[in-house]
Formats: sequence, structure tokens, C-alpha cells
Amino acid sequence: MKFLLVAPIRFYQKWFSPAFAPRCKYYPSCSAYAVTAIEEYGIKGVAMAAWRLVRCNPWSHGGVDYVVMKSQKAGI
Amino acid sequence: MGSILNPLYTAVSWVIISIHGLLSPIFGSASGVTWSLSIIGLVILIRIILIPLFVKQIKSQRALTALQPQMKAIQTKYKDDRQKQSEEMMKLYKEHKTNPLASCFPILAQAPIFFALFTVLNGIGKNPPVKHGVLTQADVVNAAQAKFFGAPISETFLGSSSTTVKIVTVFLIAFMSLTTFTTQRQLMVKGMPKMDSSNNMMLQQQKIMLYLFPVIFAISGVNFPIGVLIYWSTTNLWTWGQQYYVIKRNPTPGSPAFEELQRKKARKAGTVIDGTTIDEPRPEGDTKGQRQQPKAKKKKRK
Repeated sequence: MKFLLVAPIRFYQKWFSPAFAPRCKYYPSCSAYAVTAIEEYGIKGVAMAAWRLVRCNPWSHGGVDYVVMKSQKAGI
Repeated sequence: MGSILNPLYTAVSWVIISIHGLLSPIFGSASGVTWSLSIIGLVILIRIILIPLFVKQIKSQRALTALQPQMKAIQTKYKDDRQKQSEEMMKLYKEHKTNPLASCFPILAQAPIFFALFTVLNGIGKNPPVKHGVLTQADVVNAAQAKFFGAPISETFLGSSSTTVKIVTVFLIAFMSLTTFTTQRQLMVKGMPKMDSSNNMMLQQQKIMLYLFPVIFAISGVNFPIGVLIYWSTTNLWTWGQQYYVIKRNPTPGSPAFEELQRKKARKAGTVIDGTTIDEPRPEGDTKGQRQQPKAKKKKRK
């Protein structure tokens, strides 16, 4: 399941993304964020990735923004 | 899906029909010129709406020149750690509330509009014509007859046996592919910071896509009505022009175009720089009273 969701993103990263000028305001990029989010949270990760895409707009200043891992949430 | 796109159909068809109404007294309501210009007008309108975003981006690009020393420091400090390097760079942008990167918004915003236009024009191309948005049946029938250089704007390369349609579509598809190719190439050759060998893989893929994209367009283009091809060609041309302007006037620091501009400025100021030596630190006395030349972002390793 997770593989099915991640595969198209990997394909995009390998073949489409390099063709365009770097445009990500955030680090990691939305696609990298999506991969981590999906691998960590499954379907919920898709929603997180979508929200990240929305947050990355002309009015945002970007910045460093990693997926919060489950382990980080629990422990600290 | 339909309910999301319906307002877009309305918007797109409303813009087209409004421009059509404005131009009809000049060229005649059934004229292909009127309908073609209506489509082109739609493109221009969309791109004009997006100009503020573009200006904002240029402004932050300019602000970036002031951050050059800090950026260089980060690059040297983390030169073996790409991740850390990108992280620190993003932090720097955020701190200074400037971000030179465009985000995906301009592309994502245009996609639904393109899709709506495609549907509206495709509807016109159906036999009998299908109406979308605020177009009336009379409008679609009228538009279906409208000709662009003798070929009805609703026809596709594959859907028609007319030679005129074939010639016009092939011409437009070629134009579309060519503009995509040159825009991409212009960016790769001049607009992007030079890549070092660690990016070789990426460079390779970029090259493949450079040639593959026009091919993909050519293949999908045979199914597009001439109206859509007109839209696409216009928007491509606009993108190219906009990018040409940016690369000439506001190049990304570290790109070949940036160095070129710096050289030009230096020449104007009376200093002669012999092309290739820009990478090397210049002796103090050489740049009397002048601002230090910003060095190329990425130096050759070793």
C-alpha cells in the first residue's frame, strides 16, 4: 500500500523534478516530505503532504520543516 | 469532480465570451480571428493576474544578492554536507523573510484553468458541439465553425482528414514543442547555478527530459483541438519571454547569466575582466573603489 503511494512520487523525483528549476521554499522538498510522511503515517501522510503543498505558497517564507516522527512525538 | 470544476468552466467560458463580445464588432462574431484572439486573451489575462507573484519573486531574488556573503559562508562551511547546506540556506531565507523560490503555486494554479479550457474547447470540438459554462448552444456552434488559418479551431490532427487542419496542427505542435525546448534549454544553460560533479546524475536526467518533453507534447498534441494548441503555444511563448527577462535582468546568483551580468556591469564601470578569471580572487588594487565581484557560487572542486 505504502509502496503504491510512494512509487509515483519517486518516479516524479527521478524523471520530472530535475527538469525544472529548483522551486521549493521548504526543506526538505514537498516530494521528500511526502515520502517520509507516507512511510511513517500511511494514508494520513498523504493528507500531511497535501497540507504541506498548500502551505508552500507565494505568501509563505518557507524554512526547514521535517515530518514529525511518531517516536519524536512519544518520547522526547 | 464536476462540481469542483463547474465554477472554472463558468469562469473560463465567461472570459472567452466576454473578449469575444468585445472583439466581435471589429472582426465579426463568427470570425476565426475573434475566437482565436479570445483564447489568446484568456492566456494573457491569466498571466497578467500572475504577474504580481512574479514581481514578488524577482524582488526576493534581488534581496538575495545582499545575502551573498552569508550564503557563501554556509556553502563553504557545509561543503561536504548537502543536507545541512540546504537546511542552513532555508533558515537564512526565513530569517530574512525572503525566499527566492517560486513554490509550486504558479504551476498548480494554472493547471485547473488549463483543464477547464481543454474541456470547454473539447466540447466545442464535439459533433454536435457540447456547451460548457456560460456558452450558449449558438456560441458553441459559432465557435466550432471559426477558423484559424483556414482550419476550424475545434478540429484535431487525428480527428480530421483535411490537409489544412493537418498542416495547421503540425505547425502549432512544432511551435509548442520548440518553445518548450528553448525555454527549458535557456534555463539549463544560463539560468541555473552551475552544478558540480555530485549532481551529474541530475544533469543527465535534465538532459533526457529536455528532449523528452517536446516528444511527449508532440504525441499528446495530435489529440488536442487547435484552440487548445493556440492556448498552449501562447502560454509557452509568454513563459519564454518572462524567463528571458529574468535571466537577462535578474539572474540567479551563481548561474552563468549572473556572471555575464556582473561582467557587463564591470565593463560599464570601466574595469576590464578577461572572461574566465572571474572565479579567482582579484588582487586588491585591481578593483579600486569598486564593489568586490561576487564569485561564482560553486567552485570547481579539488
